[in-house]
Amino acid sequence: MSTAPDQQRREESAGLMEYSTESLVPFGPIHPALKEPEYFKLVLEGERIINVIPRIGYVHRGLEKAAESRPWVQNMYMFERTCGICSFVHSVCYGQAVEELTMFQTPRRAKYLRTIILEMERIHSHLLWVGLMGHWAGFDTLFMWVWNDREVVLDLVEAIAGNRVHKSMNAFCGVRRDLPENMTDRIVERMRFLTDRARYYRDVIDTEETMLKRTENMGRVSADTVEKLCAVGPMARYVGLKRDVRFDDPYAAYDEVPLDVITTTQGDVHALLRLRLDELIVSANMVTYAVQNLPDGPIRVKIPPIIPAGEHSSHCEAPRGEIFYYAKSTGGRTPDRIKSRQPTMANIPTALEMLKGQTLADIPIVLTAIDPCFGCMDRMSFYDTETNHKWTWSGEQLRQYGINYYFPERAKKQRDIARKAAPAANQCLKEEF
Amino acid sequence: MSQMSETLTQLEKYAEEAGTKITPLRKNESLVEVVQDRLEPFLGHLVNDLQIRHLMTITGLDLGQNLGITYEFFKERDTIHVRLLVPKTKPQAASIVNIVPGAILYEMELQDMFGIEFIGNPWKDHKLLLPDEWPADLPPPLLKTTKADQIRRRLGLEAAKP
Amino acid sequence: MFRFMLEKPTTEAYPFKPIQLTERFRGKLDIDPAKCTGCQVCALVCPASVITMVDLGTRKVGDRELKVRRPLFDLSTCILCGECVDNCAFNALEMTKRFETATPNKAELLMNKAIVQ
Repeated sequence: MSTAPDQQRREESAGLMEYSTESLVPFGPIHPALKEPEYFKLVLEGERIINVIPRIGYVHRGLEKAAESRPWVQNMYMFERTCGICSFVHSVCYGQAVEELTMFQTPRRAKYLRTIILEMERIHSHLLWVGLMGHWAGFDTLFMWVWNDREVVLDLVEAIAGNRVHKSMNAFCGVRRDLPENMTDRIVERMRFLTDRARYYRDVIDTEETMLKRTENMGRVSADTVEKLCAVGPMARYVGLKRDVRFDDPYAAYDEVPLDVITTTQGDVHALLRLRLDELIVSANMVTYAVQNLPDGPIRVKIPPIIPAGEHSSHCEAPRGEIFYYAKSTGGRTPDRIKSRQPTMANIPTALEMLKGQTLADIPIVLTAIDPCFGCMDRMSFYDTETNHKWTWSGEQLRQYGINYYFPERAKKQRDIARKAAPAANQCLKEEF
Repeated sequence: MSQMSETLTQLEKYAEEAGTKITPLRKNESLVEVVQDRLEPFLGHLVNDLQIRHLMTITGLDLGQNLGITYEFFKERDTIHVRLLVPKTKPQAASIVNIVPGAILYEMELQDMFGIEFIGNPWKDHKLLLPDEWPADLPPPLLKTTKADQIRRRLGLEAAKP
Repeated sequence: MFRFMLEKPTTEAYPFKPIQLTERFRGKLDIDPAKCTGCQVCALVCPASVITMVDLGTRKVGDRELKVRRPLFDLSTCILCGECVDNCAFNALEMTKRFETATPNKAELLMNKAIVQ
């Protein structure tokens, strides 16, 4: 980070007149190896990555600004849609930040139900991730089998909440739906099934040559760097830092349900695989315990639509790390300020450190190892080696380029119209295209 | 909160040195307001002496006359908000990347969203979240005075359904 | 694993066979016009601004003229959350099990059953 002037010089000198061994390769925003668009400028020497310069913000939707003009309850649904995989934990975290401003307490049964759905979401997210790692390692059979088992937990969630992804089950000071009757045995049996499957997959990744060769000794970062860069979730736990919000600052029912925080000191991508599968087994045990010891009582307390003035924050453990929400109220129907910080943002500096020293072909595996969840738009970056001038196309220029390429007659008609309208502007058009 | 944890008791000492005091909020949260020139030594004590290393995020607030920069730290059940106020007429602050290297992206986000300039941040000329063609005369998005319609019109986006 | 060869495949043969839905599945919204009284609570709680109340004239109650309003649903933006169903005091709304609602004609997604009486 402190070598920014060096970075810039390297960028500008990459591939120029003098014969240099370094090259600048853009990775993204649209790339077959990426789930969501993000743009990395890689400085390579041969095949090894020396430096990475990120550019995120491709799916910036302006949720924090939008939240300031919507009533509190509507924001709960909007923040649920920040992410598809960890949608429930976003609504729980937002709900908790706002509930503390009111005088109402969440009933105990609601806390247990929240814990059950949160852990089921963690199971589904980790299974999704293990499948993706198999896919990027070229091991598509693992991908198919793991996602097959993921259907088990998605069907359970659909039976409880009504929807597989955006559960819409949380409300302020409670949950909206209770467990259906006679579901306890089914849940316990399915959790046992998932535990057996997770143990089997753990065997697979420990013994299968493909996975071992692609994931061992990759993505090593020292524990000191990880702590300084404030990484969260499995990215902190895989180097031995015991950081888990469920343990450090219990919320929902985590002070009553037994929890095991898994850490490992192995420190590479293979360790992340084992870590997440072990966490899956712990989550399945927690769901079994919670379902069998569910307390009686109401599931919801209705609160008035106006939240008293004050400010409060709350953090939760999503499958990817720590989510942080801050809510400030001035006693109205709409919030004054809501800040939400997703775990991937906290993990990006660590991800950049992980990438240094890897080869170009390992980027999908190492990037997916941090379990990224970013988002969308397209840019093209230009570098004129002769004049040393860099510029980026805007969306409008990109669109025009597309028209010129695919519809030459339409482009010609556009140029004729423009030529008749403004003769002085012709010069600019000719130069651009 | 009837009983303060050990961390907070020690923190009070450093807060006094910085000429301020700790305000407890609800449920394990506390707020400390510090002025700019006392901020670095205070954060130095926090990170080096009290081992409060985990910076959760940096939140920006629009407080009318001033902009509030809140550094949120966390250790073992205590959430500590360290707030710095900068005037809107001169929105500048010193970067803390040499104390907490993980703050780099959060400061870039505040630069984009509130227009606060962090002196000393190595990536301070790069945009993080805003598009490259953000018009220079359009004010930063998260200020209360910037309206969503204004942003939509200037960026050429369609108006959303009311 | 040989287990997989003995089990039936997990792929569901939809659309050639009907798909299994759970009891709580949230599909397209439906209203019973007879039960709706125009109290507009559904319009106030909807997070996606789907419901607009349409004025249908007035009616006499005692010696006062009260406005009659009924909801108009633009289901193209409905997020299927179920807030309106939960908050309706007269049980006029329900979520059906219909999910095959794609249509090239946007006017089909405008539900005005409560207005056209």
